[in-house]
Amino acid sequence: MSGPVLAHIGHWWTSILYVAPVVVVVVWLALQSWRAKRRDPERR
Amino acid sequence: MRRRALAAAGVAAGLALLLPATAAAHGLVGKQDLPLPRWLFAWGAAGVLIVSFVALATLWPSPRLQELRERAVWRVPGARALEVLGGAIGVVVFAVVVYAGLAGSQSPQENLAPTFIYYVFWVGIPFLSFLVGDVFRLFNPWRAIARAVAWAATRIAGRGALPEPLEYPRALGRWPAAIGILAFAWVELVYVDRDDPSTLAIMALAYAAVQLVGMSLYGIDPWLRNADPFGVTFSLLSRLAPLRWHDGRLLARRPLAGIVGLDPRPGTVALVCVMIGTTSFDGFSMGTVWNDVAPDLQRVFMDLGIGAETALQIAFTIGLVAMVLLVAALYRLGVEGMRTVGEAHSARELAGAFAHTLVPIALAYLVAHYFSALTYQAQAMAYLISDPLGDGSNLFGTASASIDYGWISANAIWYVQVGALIVGHVCGLILAHDRALALYRDVRAATRSQYWMLVVMVGFTSLGLWLLSAASQ
Repeated sequence: MSGPVLAHIGHWWTSILYVAPVVVVVVWLALQSWRAKRRDPERR
Repeated sequence: MRRRALAAAGVAAGLALLLPATAAAHGLVGKQDLPLPRWLFAWGAAGVLIVSFVALATLWPSPRLQELRERAVWRVPGARALEVLGGAIGVVVFAVVVYAGLAGSQSPQENLAPTFIYYVFWVGIPFLSFLVGDVFRLFNPWRAIARAVAWAATRIAGRGALPEPLEYPRALGRWPAAIGILAFAWVELVYVDRDDPSTLAIMALAYAAVQLVGMSLYGIDPWLRNADPFGVTFSLLSRLAPLRWHDGRLLARRPLAGIVGLDPRPGTVALVCVMIGTTSFDGFSMGTVWNDVAPDLQRVFMDLGIGAETALQIAFTIGLVAMVLLVAALYRLGVEGMRTVGEAHSARELAGAFAHTLVPIALAYLVAHYFSALTYQAQAMAYLISDPLGDGSNLFGTASASIDYGWISANAIWYVQVGALIVGHVCGLILAHDRALALYRDVRAATRSQYWMLVVMVGFTSLGLWLLSAASQ
């Protein structure tokens, strides 16, 4: 099933750009969480 | 932390699953000439959401929407007569559509029934509902019939002589509505005879029969509030309207205030997820990946000895249900993310408390996907009302009318769609923030709880724009 998908990668690669905002937000949240944990190791 | 990481991975994976495909929404889309690449609109929309989130966290420190305030702006003269008239109009329109479907031409383009059911009823009424309130309740034909029968029975048998209706099972909640809308979406998106006028007419009659039996067993209002799929859905969307019709009066309220009081009874989250998921599948099912996957899936069932047509319907059914489940999973991940804040709120409690935040998103998806269809296909009503059976008649002299595809540009449609998605998701964020302020001990905890709702909102916005973008190419 993945064959045709990969064969037509030129048609849909720009779709990846649509997920970028989600990735950015998730990374930002992870970073915030990591910083908060570093500041306060007691916090879950 | 571990739960948060899992939630993050799940959200990203869920969206990634949706990505590699192009799709066409149900509406018709002309050639656009946009000044920016379409993906940049998704980035811009995400930026708007993030800025809105920060603005809410800093400028909205206490709940403002939790208390519903309404004021009467107009007492409708002859409200009771108007209600009877509205119901009678609904019954006549229902009868005309069913008759056209059964007795008219079986060409979907020539017959009134398919256009009326799929565009005027299913798309047009939601648009009206969020603008001017629950108009469907006034014209609901099965409600009108049930009320007329109840009135006549009371007159004949005498007040108090009729048995009391059964108590509607609380555990059932809005589940019948969720299942009904899923079934309707199945007919619209999967069933091979979806455009067949006589089939649609028979289904409309069967639907009406189920509603009448349900109302006779459980009472008119309890049934309509919970189990009439269209009635419940349109009523849900009308809660977003700044107007409400009640007891012969027109009440005004702040936008969004009406949805805050949504009772999260069982099936509510499911209903909203069905609304979003089925609209998404409408676009996704036209994409290249689904068109690659569907034949393979179809072949699996054909190898089991099932006919090609049935096998394809099974494949599409799996896709439809999977999309609804994916939307539900994304929401669930947002809820699980909220639980990481640490206050003792159960997942069930949070899922119910924030269910109303999905309603503007469901509406945004509906507007974005069907706006073009409504603007074009609703025009077909001009000639269909003059020739509802498609037999060459010209009842109102408009049978020669045609659809004007040039009255609105493709760019304008795109901007309306993008605007609807952004506004819908910002509304979702506002509702979620306000509810979090009421639920959590301080602004900081409330804001932290909403990190994951922000991810979900950005995800839904990107998904919606991606589906639209693919449809426009």
